[in-house]
Amino acid sequence: MSTPALRGPYWVTVRQYRRTLWLTGALVLAALAVIGGLRIWDLQTPDVYLEDGYWRPADDNSGFRMLRFGVEQLSLGMVLLPLLAGAFVAGPLVAREFESGTYKLSLTQSVSPAAWLRAKLLTATAVALATTLALMGVFRIGWGRASGTWDLNWSDRGPYEATGVVLFAYVLAAVAVGVLVGQLIRRTLVAMTATGLVMGVVLLVLGELRWSFLAVKTVTGPRDATLWTPDNGLMMDMGLITSSGARFDQSVCWDEVNRSPRLDGMGDGGMRIFENCLTRHGVTGQYVDYHPQSHFWPTQLIETGILLALAALAGYAAFRLLRARHP
Amino acid sequence: MTEDTALRAELLGRKYGGRRGGWALRECDFTLPRGRICALVGPNGAGKSTLLALAAGLLRPTEGTIEAPARELLAYVAQDKPLHPRLSVDDTLRMGRELNPGRWDSALAERVVEGGGFSSDTLVHHLSGGQRTRVALALALGKRPELLLLDEPMADLDPLARHQLMGLLMAEAAEHGTTVVMSSHILTELEGSCDHLLLLHGGRIRLDGPVEDLLAAHTLLTGPVADLAPHTVIESRTTGRQLTALIRREGPVEGPWETSEPSLEELLLAHLRTPEGAAA
Repeated sequence: MSTPALRGPYWVTVRQYRRTLWLTGALVLAALAVIGGLRIWDLQTPDVYLEDGYWRPADDNSGFRMLRFGVEQLSLGMVLLPLLAGAFVAGPLVAREFESGTYKLSLTQSVSPAAWLRAKLLTATAVALATTLALMGVFRIGWGRASGTWDLNWSDRGPYEATGVVLFAYVLAAVAVGVLVGQLIRRTLVAMTATGLVMGVVLLVLGELRWSFLAVKTVTGPRDATLWTPDNGLMMDMGLITSSGARFDQSVCWDEVNRSPRLDGMGDGGMRIFENCLTRHGVTGQYVDYHPQSHFWPTQLIETGILLALAALAGYAAFRLLRARHP
Repeated sequence: MTEDTALRAELLGRKYGGRRGGWALRECDFTLPRGRICALVGPNGAGKSTLLALAAGLLRPTEGTIEAPARELLAYVAQDKPLHPRLSVDDTLRMGRELNPGRWDSALAERVVEGGGFSSDTLVHHLSGGQRTRVALALALGKRPELLLLDEPMADLDPLARHQLMGLLMAEAAEHGTTVVMSSHILTELEGSCDHLLLLHGGRIRLDGPVEDLLAAHTLLTGPVADLAPHTVIESRTTGRQLTALIRREGPVEGPWETSEPSLEELLLAHLRTPEGAAA
């Protein structure tokens, strides 16, 4: 790869890892080829008219099924991208310098240790962000067709990260954590594993917490009608309410059904007991707690903020550590 | 640091593995004047590598201070000759240029690499130990340092390459007034090219000074057994009534002894064999 614009430690970093760069570019192109190809395959079978101007993919459209599969896999890969980026930075980029002793070479040149580490950090950041952006573009090609189908909603893990800004923040945090961990654990494989674990935990914890950032909205309706989640929302909870508006714990009535003799399961008899129980307790309606789709961006921004704070903290610690160890 | 000092240590000490380990280096005091070719000698584990890493700024002293030129003005070749294995020789030299802007002398670096028996597009991890040494030295010399720190530089080289590179090194040092500190546990590697000596033993400095002064200050004598005061006896051996001793003179030697100036090797071995030694 010719790199005429790069200078100093940036040139060295890119030159050292040019194979990784080529590989990254090849993977993005492969993703583009697969998703683009599946999009074209899907076009070969016309959709079926449903009603009210809605169309749905034909049942024998294997192209659509494969496209859905491809989009799901791509979104999964994109969720794991921060782990990969972090592990690469921690291991080959930083820890290996200490493990193999080449830091003795790098840190005794005219450029300062901070400039050396900064070049690694910024190069990795630029490449990781560009890769993320490119993959997001590829994802959009498939997402435009497959969104809203099973497991591919705006709030699902995968699409949520792949269509918002939060993935950029995950990548930034992973690179910063990698630079820190790579210095703390000066062994390539251990540092890679540790960074992968840290970012995996961050991913899981924030995935659990993200729908608690904002208060849910609630919609109520009569007991007997079907109550849909409005606004293409993400349902968080549903249940029954009494005439006073209090939430009712259904298990009281399920217990009553189970205690009744000569009833196994929910036959008509069981259902009648259940319904009578509800009426006796004054249950008149039902509720759904949900996040409307309008919560997407605020949730993304809050999560991004948390991750950027983590990235800043890890980056600061990494440079402090470098200065403490190498005068 | 004054104009004519290249390296100075004051009560320098460094522990192994952080604060809790034993001392790798303790209470080292020395001043190395500019322009010297200094041999840093001592047995394995004497603290030579630690001292060089401290001078290179890769380690922080546990106690005391070491004053060395700024990062831009010194070059360091570690014992294991670390290089990036996936870069070619050309790229490695280009790296030297990129990381030392304004100082890099590519003609000199290429001259060091020439004659190594490998083409410049060879990847570093395909080089032999001696070839790696050559590239590492090229990287260090190309930087045009004021202070060149070399840890066991010639260990991997065959005699011919050693002779050639040593010649090149000495010529460069002489031309630019470079101060060189070279460590070795093989004295013959350094004898003849060094004019200054630092002898380390057990983490402490046992001898420090210009080679000529050190030799002149010591005397090897043989003769009848007698009290050698006021001279300091470094090492003595008695065979029957015959005494052989290496002493550091205090004034002229007067007595019934045959005297001669010791060789550098005799001097070093005598100091190394003496447990507590007499610091010079």
